[in-house]
Amino acid sequence: MLTTPPEVETMLAESAEPSAGFWFESWRRFRKRKLAVVALTFVVALTAIAATAPLIAGTRPIVTRYKGELYFPALWYYNRSWENPIFNKDRFRANYIASLQAKDPESWAIWPLVYQDPYRRVRGDLVWPDTPENPANGPPSRYNWFGTNSQGFDVFASMVHGAQTAVSVGFVSMSIAAAIGITLGALAGYFGGWIDTIISRIIEVVMCIPSLVLILALVALLDRVTNFHLMVIVGCTGWTGIARLTRAEFMKLKQLEFVSAARAMGAGSTRIMFTHILRNSLAPVLVPITFGIADAILIESGLSFLGFGASPPNPSWGTLLAAGRNSIEQTWWLIVFPGAAIFLTVLAYNLIGEGLQEATDPRLRQDAH
Amino acid sequence: MTSYIIRRLGIGVITLLLITFLVYGLVRNIPGTPFTSDLAQMNPSKMMSPEAAEKLNRLYGLDKPWYQAYFHWMSNVLQGDFGVSYSRNNKPVGTLILERMPATLLLSSTSLVLAYLLSVPIGLWSSARADSPSERTASTLLYMLYSLPAFVAALYLQLLFYVKLDWLPLYGMTSDDYATFTTGGKVWDLLLHATLPVICFTYGSLAFYSRFIRANMQEVLRQDYIRTARAKGVAPLTIIWKHAFRNTLIPFVTLVGLSLPGLFSGAVILEQIFSWPGMGRLYFESIGQRDYNVIMGLTLMFSVLTLAGQLLADILYAVVDPRVTYN
Repeated sequence: MLTTPPEVETMLAESAEPSAGFWFESWRRFRKRKLAVVALTFVVALTAIAATAPLIAGTRPIVTRYKGELYFPALWYYNRSWENPIFNKDRFRANYIASLQAKDPESWAIWPLVYQDPYRRVRGDLVWPDTPENPANGPPSRYNWFGTNSQGFDVFASMVHGAQTAVSVGFVSMSIAAAIGITLGALAGYFGGWIDTIISRIIEVVMCIPSLVLILALVALLDRVTNFHLMVIVGCTGWTGIARLTRAEFMKLKQLEFVSAARAMGAGSTRIMFTHILRNSLAPVLVPITFGIADAILIESGLSFLGFGASPPNPSWGTLLAAGRNSIEQTWWLIVFPGAAIFLTVLAYNLIGEGLQEATDPRLRQDAH
Repeated sequence: MTSYIIRRLGIGVITLLLITFLVYGLVRNIPGTPFTSDLAQMNPSKMMSPEAAEKLNRLYGLDKPWYQAYFHWMSNVLQGDFGVSYSRNNKPVGTLILERMPATLLLSSTSLVLAYLLSVPIGLWSSARADSPSERTASTLLYMLYSLPAFVAALYLQLLFYVKLDWLPLYGMTSDDYATFTTGGKVWDLLLHATLPVICFTYGSLAFYSRFIRANMQEVLRQDYIRTARAKGVAPLTIIWKHAFRNTLIPFVTLVGLSLPGLFSGAVILEQIFSWPGMGRLYFESIGQRDYNVIMGLTLMFSVLTLAGQLLADILYAVVDPRVTYN
C-alpha cells in the first residue's frame, strides 16, 4: 500500500494555505527597513498635525458653550465662512478670550493646546490671562516655543498651520500629476505608434522647459495666488517622470499572456489598460509619485522663499525662511526651525519612496535571499 | 549611427521650436511689459505716457500679437541676432550672457570637479565595505545630504559661518574694496566668497553620484567574472578598481552628458541667496523685469544644452559600450 511521505504531506499542507498577496508581501518587506518605517510614522504624524492644526495652535476655542448653545469657532481656520455669525453679531471682533467672559459669564470653552495664532499677534486684550504679550522678533521662550517674527506672530503656530500647506500641496499636486502622467503614459505605452510619438514629444518638451520659468510665468499670470493655484501648477509640471515610467511599464506588460487572455475574452482597450495592466504596474508607479511629493513640497517652499508663493497671509515654511533670511543676523529661529521642517519632510518622503522601491521591486527581492 | 544622429538632431530642432514657442507665449502673457517698470509702480509721476509706451512698443515689435512676434524673434535668432535687453540699456543679449557666464562657470565647474573627485572614492569605499556599520552610517548620512534642500543648507551655512563664527562673507562675489587688493588678495577674497556657494552646489550631486556608483558597483560585483577573479586569487582592491569599477564607467559617462546643462544654468535660488552675479540670477531678474529677449536667449541656451547633453549621453553610451548600437 502506498503512503505519502510525511515531507510531501507538510508541503501539501503549506501550499493549501493561501499565499501572501503582493501588497502584503511588500508591506512585510517595507517593515524590515527601520528608516522607512520611521519616515512613514513621521509623515503620518505630520499629516495628523496638518489636519488638526487649529486644535493645536490657535486663538479661537475648539468648543465653546455660549448663551446655552455649543459652537466650534476653531473651524474658522479651515474655512472662513464656518465661523458662526452669532459671534459677528455679538461684536466679538475675533477676540474670544476677552469677549466670551464679558458677554456671557456662564460660558466655557476648550482652547487649542497652544494659545498662539499664525495670522495675528497675541497682544493687548487678546493675550491669555497672566501671560506676556508676544514681542516682535522675540527669541524662543516659554510662551513662544519657536520665537516670533518681526510682526510678533508666533513661529510655532505658523509652522503648525504651515504643515497644512506643505502636506496638502504635496498630496493634491501629486494626485494631479499622477492623473495626467498615468493617463498619458498608459496611452503612449499601450497604443504605441503615432500616439506614442506625439505623447513622447510632449513629455520631452515639458521636461526641457526650465520648470522654474514655467512655474514663475504661470504664477505671474495670476492676480492673487492661492495654494490651490500652486497645487495645480506644480501638478501640471511634475507629471513627466510618472508618465515615462507608466509608459515603460505598459510597453512591458502589454506583451504578457494575461493581457492576451483578457483580449481573447473580449475586454475592451480601456478595460485592459485600467483594470488589468494598471493594477499590475501600480507598485513601480507609486515610487516616482512618492518622490514627486517630496519635490512638490520642495518647489512650494522654494517658491514661497523667493516670494512667488501663495499671497499673504498664508503660513508657509518657505515664507518663514524668507523672513529669516532678511534678518539673518538676529533671527536664527526663523531659519533653523522651518528649515528643519522642510528638510525632515523631504527626507521622510524620499526614504518612503526608497523603501517602496526596494519592497516592490522583484529583482531586488530575489537578491536579498 | 550617422542616420541615428541626424534623426535625433531633426527631432531636437522640432522640440526646440516647440519649447521656445511655448515659453515665448508664456512670458509675453505675463501681465506688464518691460516698460511698466518697478520704478513707475512706486512713483506714478514716472509713469510713461500712453503715447511714449506705444512708441516704444512699436520700436521693439511688442505691439504685434505674441505669435507674430515669436516668428520675428525666431527669424532674427536664425540670423544670429538675439535682440537687446530692454532693462539693461539695450545691451545685446549675447554680450550680457557672456558677461554673466564666468561667475556661474566658476561655481558649477568647481563643484562638478569636486563632486566627481570625491564621489568615486566614496562610492568605491562603500561598495567594498558594503553592509558594515561604518558604511551604513555613511550611506545614511549621504542620503540625508541628498534630501537636504540647497536653500535650507545655504541658510544654515550662512548662520554658522557668517553669523556665529564670522569666518566667511554673507553674500556677493567680491568685497566692496576688491579693486584695491593685490592679486593674491583678490584670489583669496574670491575664494572666501565662493566657499559657501560651492559647498551648496556640490553636496547634492556628491551624494547622488556616490550612491549611483555604489548601486552600479553592487550590480557588477554580483557578476560571474568577479567571482572568477576572486576564485583565482586577485587582490580585493584590484577587483574593485580594475575589474568592477571599469565596468561601471558606462552608466557613469552618461551622467557626464546629463550634467552639461547644469554647468551653465546655475541654480536660481542659490545664486539669489548668495547674490551671485551668474546666469541663474540673470534669469530670475529678467522674469521680474519682463525682459523678453534675455529670458528667451537663456531659455534657448538651456534647452539646446539639455538636448545636446541627452544626445551626447546616448552617443557616449554607444562609444564606450560596444554592445549598444543605434540602427
